[in-house]
Amino acid sequence: MKTLLSTRRLVKRFGGVHAVDHVDLSLEGGKITALIGPNGSGKTTLINVVTGMLAIDGGDIVIDSVRLQRIRPSDVASYGITRTFQNLRLIQQMSVLDNILLVLTERNIWGALFEQHTKFHLATAEEILKKVGLWEKRNENAESLSYGQRKLLEIARAVSMEARIYFFDEPFAGLFPEMVRIVSGIIRELRASGAAVVLVEHDMLLVRELADYCYVLDSGKVIAEGTPEHVLKQQNVVEAYLGK
Amino acid sequence: MEYLIHIAVLACIYGILGISLNLVMGETGLISVTHAAFYGLGAYAVAFLLVGFGINFFLATLAGMILASGVAFAIGVVFLRLKEVYYVLGTVGSNVILFSVLLNWNSVTRGPLGIGGIPRPEIFGFRFSENEAFLLLVLAAVAITYAISVLITRSSFGRVLNAIREDEDVVSVFGYSVYHYKLVIFTIGAAFAALAGAFLASYLTYISPFSFTVVESIFILSIVVLGGLGSGRGALIAAGILVITPEALRFVGFTPDIAAQMRQVLYGLILILLMLYRPQGLLGRFRI
Amino acid sequence: MDIAAQLILNAIIAGAIYSLLALGFNLLYSTARFFDLGYGAMSVAGAYVAYTFYNLLDLSVPIAVLAGVLAAGTLGFVVEKLVYRPLRARKATHTVLLIASLGVLIVIQAVISIIFSSQFKILSKDVNLEPVFNVFGGAITQTQVIILVAALLIMVALALTLKYTLFGKAVNAIADDEEVARVVGVNSERVIGVVFFVGSAIGGAAGIATAFDSGIYPTIGLPLLLNGVIAFIVGGVGNVYGAVLGAFALAITENAAAWFLPGEWKFAIAFLVLIIFLIFRPQGILPK
Repeated sequence: MKTLLSTRRLVKRFGGVHAVDHVDLSLEGGKITALIGPNGSGKTTLINVVTGMLAIDGGDIVIDSVRLQRIRPSDVASYGITRTFQNLRLIQQMSVLDNILLVLTERNIWGALFEQHTKFHLATAEEILKKVGLWEKRNENAESLSYGQRKLLEIARAVSMEARIYFFDEPFAGLFPEMVRIVSGIIRELRASGAAVVLVEHDMLLVRELADYCYVLDSGKVIAEGTPEHVLKQQNVVEAYLGK
Repeated sequence: MEYLIHIAVLACIYGILGISLNLVMGETGLISVTHAAFYGLGAYAVAFLLVGFGINFFLATLAGMILASGVAFAIGVVFLRLKEVYYVLGTVGSNVILFSVLLNWNSVTRGPLGIGGIPRPEIFGFRFSENEAFLLLVLAAVAITYAISVLITRSSFGRVLNAIREDEDVVSVFGYSVYHYKLVIFTIGAAFAALAGAFLASYLTYISPFSFTVVESIFILSIVVLGGLGSGRGALIAAGILVITPEALRFVGFTPDIAAQMRQVLYGLILILLMLYRPQGLLGRFRI
Repeated sequence: MDIAAQLILNAIIAGAIYSLLALGFNLLYSTARFFDLGYGAMSVAGAYVAYTFYNLLDLSVPIAVLAGVLAAGTLGFVVEKLVYRPLRARKATHTVLLIASLGVLIVIQAVISIIFSSQFKILSKDVNLEPVFNVFGGAITQTQVIILVAALLIMVALALTLKYTLFGKAVNAIADDEEVARVVGVNSERVIGVVFFVGSAIGGAAGIATAFDSGIYPTIGLPLLLNGVIAFIVGGVGNVYGAVLGAFALAITENAAAWFLPGEWKFAIAFLVLIIFLIFRPQGILPK
């Protein structure tokens, strides 16, 4: 399968600390890649860099054979990349439906002023919201939802982008089992459609169940990579989590 | 009756100002303390073109709106990329500088003397000299402004503005050029402020730079805060309240000087009390 | 008379006053973390209380100055307690605080206008009988010398307090991270209350100095505040030495420009300086 995105010796520094330390990553379409590692190992920072929210300090990102040393947030979507946020960044004072429509509608200013495809977008929104079970709550403001529901909305928003590369930052944390099943289903569907899916996840059972490939981060470095079985058996990985 | 019509006209003019600033500040979250500058540009454009060249009011108004848009575009290009606090200060600075220009560019604006003898609007031979007729005209302007405001806020464009208000980085990551959206709405807001200015100039038949200072920008800001962020209707009602209430003070028997200051006390107290007890204003859709 | 020397002297006086404004503002901003527009009102209030004691009640200068400074400090303390603390307790956003402080500024200035009328007032009596010193070809009055010395004393006292006293350490702790400071045992509410007293008092001193040097009017609060803010930003946000540096940089630029441009542009020039910094070096001359 094609490599949709890779990073080569990617670096992100904060002062003297390497939050991302010469990371080499390769994301293939049609595969679910897990990013695991103890807290503070740089997983979210890595995602922030790849999605343009933090500047690249070293190395580069290769998307479709194009080498990039700078990514702006507004370019990210055009590269087919989308993401969820660990601490959920929905538009709280807007309705559930509007949060989804926001990512479906015309991006350019003139088109947005005179939106032509409202019906079509509404139909798409309905489909995705029904899949996550939020269609009934579509007119409620995002902030009035429960944590789990907001999480589902965040995921639904990313899925609505119909992207090629998805970064899900701890999508399962705080979800009830039924919701976990829904999200797993969605992630598998994305894989089936040929997208590259990246999961930051702490639940090892889910990692084993879903991930095709794993990268283990510790202190900004990739200390191990491979299939989940292979990686979770390695001594250094166990140590990274439990301490020596 | 004449007096009521006078109040109504002023309320309408401030209504237009309120609606236009709401687009920028209420919907998009861009705290702009320079709206009076665009108000002034519209007024001066009309004054200059009507008195100096006898140009038709409606054409002059259009010219004023274009001028204000151009200036707003320039200001926006410079400041809209900055962090919020710096952007706000930048707008204050712009207002101060524009005011200085109005005050000192004597050859064009006649400086502190202001421009007088501005005629009322005329179209197809009919002149809006009567205040009643003028009121109808300005009401039409309010209606048009409100209609356009609704068109914007109910569109996908408006949705994007509301999202930018809350979390512009997220909006950016999902594929929007946030900077350009801000630029566009800032420019549109300025254009309608100029429209209000045009009406002010023609109504009062005399304008001076002192009506367009930072203090006036702050007053317009209060209208939006009182009306509530994200509500054109709220802005209209607030404009009415903030124009009418001080006039009521007049009847309490203060001298004109003191009445003017009591009006300020009232505005200040309204702001403080609003923030303490109802920060979302009258009809606000968003909390500050 | 040597114009260059005179301009430099004028710049030094202005710089001293702006330094006080910037330092007071820096104290407030670094602890309470919002743009307190009410700070401008404290400066004016202090000046007018001094005016009352000196010009109206005919008391001596030291008593008048002391009264003014204490009044400004007390007013700042009370406003913090009544308005800002409740808002901060319910985690109001900095926008809400900004607008509330705007209300404070407006109310206080209006009340002063009512009590003292809007007229321009200068505190110095017998201006023509004052001793004037000749320094390298420029003239400096006794009043100005006193202002310089006083400003210097205040700055040194402030620096020493912040560096060596327990209070100063508490202030620095809160400026660094209020949550952590509280965890470590700092009573941040009480400290901030004192900070507002001290900061407003310093602002009051600046206002009194202005009143003696060039005169005041009730709405001078905003220009004074803005000068302080510009100095604060230009010098480097949050940096005490930066505030002083920024103040003098601003004063020198303003006075140098006065050579070429008429005085009415002074304020516009100050903002031009600010805008240039906001665009090219928003962190100021001396970053934190």
